Amino acid sequence: MIRFENVTMKYGANDAPALDDVSLDIGRGEFAFLVGASGSGKSTLIQLTTRELVATRGKILVAGKDLRAMPDRRVPMLRREIGVVFQDFRLLDGKTVYQNVAFVLKVLGAKRHVIKQLVPETLELVGLEGKARRMPHELSGGEQQRVAIARAVVKKPPILLADEPTGNLDPEISEDIVKVLDRINKTNTTVVVATHDQGIVDNFAKRVIELRGGTVIRDEQNGRYAEMLAPTSARRTRPAGSPGGPGRPARRPAEDPTTVAGSPADR
Amino acid sequence: MRLQFMLGEIASGIRRNASMMASVVLVSMISLFFIGTGLLAQREVDLAKGYWYDKVQVSVFLCTSQSSDVPSCADGAASPVQTASIKRELLAQQPLVEQVYYESSTQAYSRFKTQFASSPYLSQISPQSMPAAFRVKLSDPKRYGDVASLVSGADGVEAVSDQGKVLDTFFKILNLLSIGAVVLAGLMAVCAVLLMTTTIRQVAFSRRRQVGIMRVVGASNSVIYLPFVIETMVATLLGAVLAIAGLWALIHFGINHLFNHVGNGGDLVSLIGTDDLWAITPWMFLGTVVLALFTAWLTLRRHVRV
Repeated sequence: MIRFENVTMKYGANDAPALDDVSLDIGRGEFAFLVGASGSGKSTLIQLTTRELVATRGKILVAGKDLRAMPDRRVPMLRREIGVVFQDFRLLDGKTVYQNVAFVLKVLGAKRHVIKQLVPETLELVGLEGKARRMPHELSGGEQQRVAIARAVVKKPPILLADEPTGNLDPEISEDIVKVLDRINKTNTTVVVATHDQGIVDNFAKRVIELRGGTVIRDEQNGRYAEMLAPTSARRTRPAGSPGGPGRPARRPAEDPTTVAGSPADR
Repeated sequence: MRLQFMLGEIASGIRRNASMMASVVLVSMISLFFIGTGLLAQREVDLAKGYWYDKVQVSVFLCTSQSSDVPSCADGAASPVQTASIKRELLAQQPLVEQVYYESSTQAYSRFKTQFASSPYLSQISPQSMPAAFRVKLSDPKRYGDVASLVSGADGVEAVSDQGKVLDTFFKILNLLSIGAVVLAGLMAVCAVLLMTTTIRQVAFSRRRQVGIMRVVGASNSVIYLPFVIETMVATLLGAVLAIAGLWALIHFGINHLFNHVGNGGDLVSLIGTDDLWAITPWMFLGTVVLALFTAWLTLRRHVRV
């Protein structure tokens, strides 16, 4: 479903690569945790998958599409096959839970009866039945993230990417969120969760892919998070001066589509 | 479904940015008002030139039955014999006289009708009161006097005129006016473009999260762009409507009421009317749409990443 072949990503010609010759293959219906410290390349990998970024070298195949050969105008078609969940939820404040989820379908031009069927169905899937009319600010963090998940999966994408979905939540709630993701995975959706939340990785015993300094240093089924801390030898294999990746500031997927620093949003 | 959704987006965009939208409306109104003024001034020049201005230098008007107060017209309307003799005299001046056109009173009347279509003078004029004329083209326009002195005062000639002389001052003023108007229009158009750019950026900023979500879920560029484009278009078109209303008021209450009265003692100059405004209206709208589209497209490409 997601296939990287010798992918290298450099942000600038002289920068150290954010991803360095990464190859991996995540099949249909798999559930994988992507772990590693900040700056290890997790977010870069996710942004390459959604073609927010274009790889410097190497081949990326997502849902059978070759991203290298993809013209810009085909990118929306790719993104319709991928649901994305962010650490900061990114719900639309002025809209109810129902409207937030329906927004996606409206944007994509779904028919009214389809929306009426899919939205409640999806809200039930993420455990939000009965909360359709709430506004985002009336919900707890965990509930807001469920809304965000519902929004990501309402269009029934074959792939769901979550970038630090539990980063803003306490451990108990985090567990619930991963359970929701697991439930979605059971519907034959490929789920990739980038995280450095040790608790959820250890509890769910899924495939774990560990990145460090832009390379895959571990890829195992039923993996645990803790192993990355144990062998100090792993660190020694990296060239001196690059522990935990190059000195690049941590990047979040850019939320702001504008380049302006104008007046505050009057939402 | 999507249409309804888009209309909702557009309405909310306009509501949220009402003051910015209002300024776009006003600036495009002022810009288009000046553009319209420039265009109308040029139409006035063309209209005042009439049929003969660019073709001949001397007009020899023949007596009509109503011009008996002029001594050379004592016998009433110019007779065929008088007419023929005047023509002969004019043609004798070749090669200074390059060409002599005869314009009958009927032809003169029909040209007058076109030129003064929107003037209240029209009802005062009958075909009989329009003089027939010889319109003379000179090889050397400066030697107007040579020809004029030859035929003025001859029997059957009511008047000889160099209409160009009268109109030239008028045209100078009008041309200055239209240049001034176009320069102002240009400046205001720059303001309008800059303001549209700022407004679109502002709207894009206030909607950045929504646009971000639309991108992530795979909305096509047109769905993301269209609300911005249409909002800009609505504002500028509203400005155009207001500008045209302003120009209409200018013509209707200004020109027609102040200058176009019968017997105000001034020179008889044909003036533009509201018909001329309707003639330029489609072009003004077209220009507005093109400008708004171009600006919106450029701004979105620069500031709204898809």
